[in-house]
Amino acid sequence: MDDRASAIATPAADTAHRIKIRVHDLHFHYKEFHALKGISMDIPEKQVTAIIGPSGCGKSTLLRIFNRIYAIYPGMEAKGKILVDGEDILDTRYSMNRLRSKIGMVFQKPVPFPMTIFENVAYGIRHHEKLSKANMANRVEEALHSAALWSEVKDKLKQNALSLSGGQQQRLCIARAIALKPEVLLLDEPTSALDPIATGRIEQLVEELKSQFTIVMVTHNMQQAARCSDQTAFMYLGELIEFEQTEKIFTKPDKKQTEDYITGRFG
Amino acid sequence: MSAQGLYTRRRITNAIAMTFGTAATVLGLFFLVWILWLTLINGISALHGSLFTKITAYGPQGGLANAIVGSLMMDLIALLICTPIGVMAGTWLAEYARLTRLGTVIRFLNDILLSAPSIVLGLFVYMIIVLPMSNMTHGAVSFSGFAGGVALALIGLPVIVRTTDEMLQLVPSTLREAALALGVPQWKLTMQILLRAASSGIVTGVLLALARLAGETAPLLFTAFGNNFMTAHPLDKMASVPVAIYQYTNDPDPTLHAIAWAGALVITLFVLALSLLTRLFFSRKKVSYG
Repeated sequence: MDDRASAIATPAADTAHRIKIRVHDLHFHYKEFHALKGISMDIPEKQVTAIIGPSGCGKSTLLRIFNRIYAIYPGMEAKGKILVDGEDILDTRYSMNRLRSKIGMVFQKPVPFPMTIFENVAYGIRHHEKLSKANMANRVEEALHSAALWSEVKDKLKQNALSLSGGQQQRLCIARAIALKPEVLLLDEPTSALDPIATGRIEQLVEELKSQFTIVMVTHNMQQAARCSDQTAFMYLGELIEFEQTEKIFTKPDKKQTEDYITGRFG
Repeated sequence: MSAQGLYTRRRITNAIAMTFGTAATVLGLFFLVWILWLTLINGISALHGSLFTKITAYGPQGGLANAIVGSLMMDLIALLICTPIGVMAGTWLAEYARLTRLGTVIRFLNDILLSAPSIVLGLFVYMIIVLPMSNMTHGAVSFSGFAGGVALALIGLPVIVRTTDEMLQLVPSTLREAALALGVPQWKLTMQILLRAASSGIVTGVLLALARLAGETAPLLFTAFGNNFMTAHPLDKMASVPVAIYQYTNDPDPTLHAIAWAGALVITLFVLALSLLTRLFFSRKKVSYG
């Protein structure tokens, strides 16, 4: 990793962490619309990286490229490089199975599958690994523990997952994602559909999970970014304006645009 | 215009619209209730046990037993044919061809089939099944319960395609993304998650199709033909309740008219039971994707 000199690289103070995802000159087109304009950034391992910016700035779009989920819709095209552990995931030779088991994602609205709580977690694992019944039970329990949901659901694993509350459903979705033992966890506004108490629990969970996973989180809530993340990227109109240590972004941002957004002058 | 005048005008417009709306509802309900009432009082007088035990061969002294068995048989054949095809075609439309030109064209053609005159479907089945079968067997098998079932399947098919398509389109796209993000392939997603999420709607569609085809007469005239004797063999000419009603109402004998009314009541109650079952199915599903 020797191109520290490039305009936007790892946040300056953070050289202690290995780089997990290196985005290089990424452009994204949706038909005629140029949604991302040359994004370059280095995302460090086992840290929480928040992406903030006003609606339509491209923050969710960027996140959705990291696991190539955008590709299920026609008319979308990503150009540039996204190196995960040095391998370009945008290369079509990079296996989708491998990518999706390495990079997990949690969405804005909790979307449990229409099956039992246990099956929700076991379902994804079953596609990637053959486990004995006992091993599967252990794996599911482990994932539910990590998602801080085990104590609430351990007596009703056979119940329909849709009977859980919104906050529990979202933690179940997190459990489902981490059950595959991914290395990166993408969170796309994971608390925007939740009440403040459920939001608090998810934020606490994010803090706990970062020892195991590299977390990239899109949020429209600046306080959340300030509370949960180690570094923050500010995007505006498809461009990465500033990417710095969270503390610096929220106290002494380099760019005027960042400051205006942080202080609520626009956005 | 003053604010007061504006409010008065709106109140009057509102009262007029309300009056017309209510009147239209009352008019519609009036005829509906009249039809149901007539069916009930005329049907109940002939609703004896012999209706379900005796066959049409006895005429005025008989019942509709063979017609009821024939109807159930042909409805069953129809459902066995149109449910799998309809659900698969609807799934293809919603999940694999949603935004494609081919999908749009086929969805449009299906809507045409949905409103096609049912007698045309009967003639079509006459041409492709009844005639060839008759030619192949030198007349031993011509009109048959099987052909009747196929004709009814063509009535039910577009209903099932349409509801399956619509119910799957109602499943939130985030559910698809969530499964794909776990690396689950499209076919597993469709079979194990989406169809399950849409299952109560799809079952409703099947029951709706059954309610629709159970009352059809025209497609059976040239296909099942009719039969005065009891049979459940799909290659026999087969009686059905709607065709029996049609034949009995054309007869001058008032006793036969009464039996026809009773048959109409039986079909109405059957469809009513199906509708109730449908409602039950929907209300049983307490949790859903908001």
